[in-house]
Amino acid sequence: MTSAPLSSDHAQRFLEGRFRGSIEALPGAATALRLPLGTIDRAASLLTDEGARFVSVFVAELPERSLVAAFAFRGRIVALRAPLKDDAAAYPALSLHLDAARLAERELHDRKGLTPLGHPDLEPALHPDPDDVRLRVVDPEAFVIPYGPIRSGIFEAIQHVVETGGEDILQLETRPYFKYRGLESRFDGLVAEQGSALAERIAGIASVAHASAFSQAVETALGIEAPPRAQLWRVVHAELERVANHLDVAMKLAEDAALSVGVARFGILKEDVLRLRARLCGSRFGRGVVVPGGLASEPRLAVDDVQDWTARFERDLFSDRRLLLGTSSFTDRLIGSGRLDRETVERLGGVGPVARAAGISTDARFERPYGAYRRLGFDVVTADDGDAMARLDVRFGEIRESLHLCRQALDRLLDLGETTTRVEVPADESAAFGWAEAPQGELVYWVELSGGRIQQAHIASPSLHNWPLFVASFQSDVLTDFSFIEHSFGLTPAGADR
Amino acid sequence: MLAWILRGLGKGVVTSRYPHRPEPELEGFRARIEVTNSENAGAELEAICPTGAIRVEAGRVSLDRGACILCGACIEVAPERFRFSSAYETADRRRAGLVVGEVVERTLEEVRLPLAAQARPLRRSVHIRHVDAGSDGSEEWEIAALTNPYYDMQRLGLYFTLSPRHADVLLVTGGVTSAMRAPLERAYEVMPEPKAVVAAGTDACSGGLAATGGEIAGGVDRVLPVDVYVPGSPPSPLALLHGLLLAAGIVVEEAAA
Repeated sequence: MTSAPLSSDHAQRFLEGRFRGSIEALPGAATALRLPLGTIDRAASLLTDEGARFVSVFVAELPERSLVAAFAFRGRIVALRAPLKDDAAAYPALSLHLDAARLAERELHDRKGLTPLGHPDLEPALHPDPDDVRLRVVDPEAFVIPYGPIRSGIFEAIQHVVETGGEDILQLETRPYFKYRGLESRFDGLVAEQGSALAERIAGIASVAHASAFSQAVETALGIEAPPRAQLWRVVHAELERVANHLDVAMKLAEDAALSVGVARFGILKEDVLRLRARLCGSRFGRGVVVPGGLASEPRLAVDDVQDWTARFERDLFSDRRLLLGTSSFTDRLIGSGRLDRETVERLGGVGPVARAAGISTDARFERPYGAYRRLGFDVVTADDGDAMARLDVRFGEIRESLHLCRQALDRLLDLGETTTRVEVPADESAAFGWAEAPQGELVYWVELSGGRIQQAHIASPSLHNWPLFVASFQSDVLTDFSFIEHSFGLTPAGADR
Repeated sequence: MLAWILRGLGKGVVTSRYPHRPEPELEGFRARIEVTNSENAGAELEAICPTGAIRVEAGRVSLDRGACILCGACIEVAPERFRFSSAYETADRRRAGLVVGEVVERTLEEVRLPLAAQARPLRRSVHIRHVDAGSDGSEEWEIAALTNPYYDMQRLGLYFTLSPRHADVLLVTGGVTSAMRAPLERAYEVMPEPKAVVAAGTDACSGGLAATGGEIAGGVDRVLPVDVYVPGSPPSPLALLHGLLLAAGIVVEEAAA
């Protein structure tokens, strides 16, 4: 289910037609447009009208202090860059025209004190108060149930405020940032190679994706490229991470349906992947592998061993999948639950398996291919129904594609003569975007470097993008569907909160 | 349903016998860092560590495992002094116990046998409540793994409970963000006596990389009295099991007293 991505040249032609004179080159598949601060909202809606997807909004320091609104547009990252004068304290809110930017602008307001004028809902975001649960719907029979921030089960902290009349969910408010640790600012001043250890701990279950997006931002900024052997191993690690994440979702959904054997089987499969990763690199989460310039250490397993493992694992997995999807007491709970239509996903800038399950073929590995993905073949798996079942179908399809990518990468590693896995990282001043398709969706880093050290970094996290979609997915669902819908999204609060 | 039952039986027994039998260490697994030579060190070693876990006093090196995130930066610079070890029993009842020099580690047998004795009376059950106070998310995966068939902690009389009012052990991850401080304190207050608190992971022990940013308390023991520290980034399921058995020992001892 793939179509050719609109070419990057096409984007360039459109931008030249509309923004001649303000175009600036950025390293990699990215373009900046220099604009006055007062016009940034109009430029943003012009881009989104043409099909651009909102990525993030933040303050950059290079080449000068500027407000940057980043978009994914026809195979490029397009950054609207408005220089900030010393006394600039406000700008016209992107959220006026762009629902996808609401959370990001609230966060920016808290962090930098920049006021988005006209923002429809400018409440503080970063330090939520768990006791502040107000009833918003006007219904004399309604009451409020706060789920969290301490959840029922072994889950990360987040708060869902559910308003209900008894069974139907009338309104839902999801409040992230209970885990806000201020990690983005911990990048400031780190040596480039040390940044990976921090990136891996932003969202622990997507460590490889974070280290890859960060490292690729550094490599793009400095004009270097990881050696082919390193790029291929990065694919193996990243795809194993995706498989583990998707199996975690399948396991949690089986648990919600009280299928004990299903929980045990998918728990075993997930543990098998984590153990393979530990044997490969010493970490069950693929940490300490991906660094700017290549790989920090050589894989400890031979290519053949990983190939044998993959073949065995695939047989076990797909027989369990058949059994799970053939169990109607399980599938009945997923079909029709938490349905999202394509328009809503596009309006809110959704990414990852959640967007793909609503028929949108978006995938950073395909839209803006990076590393070895430029030379490997895979399908972007999509589904049309947009419900919890479609999201699980997409995940199983992606596991198949991930194993297929692993096999291709391993085959190429066998044939590869060259043995270097790491190149020198120069100490120039530069800045760039880097990205990776995390298991949760597109992950984008902006990294500024000077003298071999990181000046600052900004992260656009897929989990933060998709929380508003989670809220929007409650159309006609009841309380007992809640955990099915939440787990079908497979998001990580740590990644969103940072 | 029959298909599921047959599938469940098909795999045979995969469950670990730990702590009654030793679980073989996974070769190459990075469970902790050991100091192999602590003598005649220069003060510049301290600057290698991104979380300040390395100290040099009077030429002697010490490593605080409660602050170590296992990034391996020290091993890259000074392989003659530091190395990874796959010994997974890293928990300690004292925070200071996590600070190690060049010491002869206790052997697996010494740790495991008292633990096995501790686990025996637990068949009557110890209940655990998990609270995330700002982890990176990986600790939750490792804690949840304790119920999978490989580790199956129910066989030791350890259970997760959904209410702190039914819990004997509070298992906390993360360095305690400002928004999670009050909920965490409340969960602790409503637990019945006797109770034990386990700080799970380097972030919970010391705050890890976020410790100096001002957004987190910098470790669970800044907020609650901690009984057992389990370092690791994240700690493996076996390391967590070791820590939980230590904590269960505390609860059983206190209940008997």
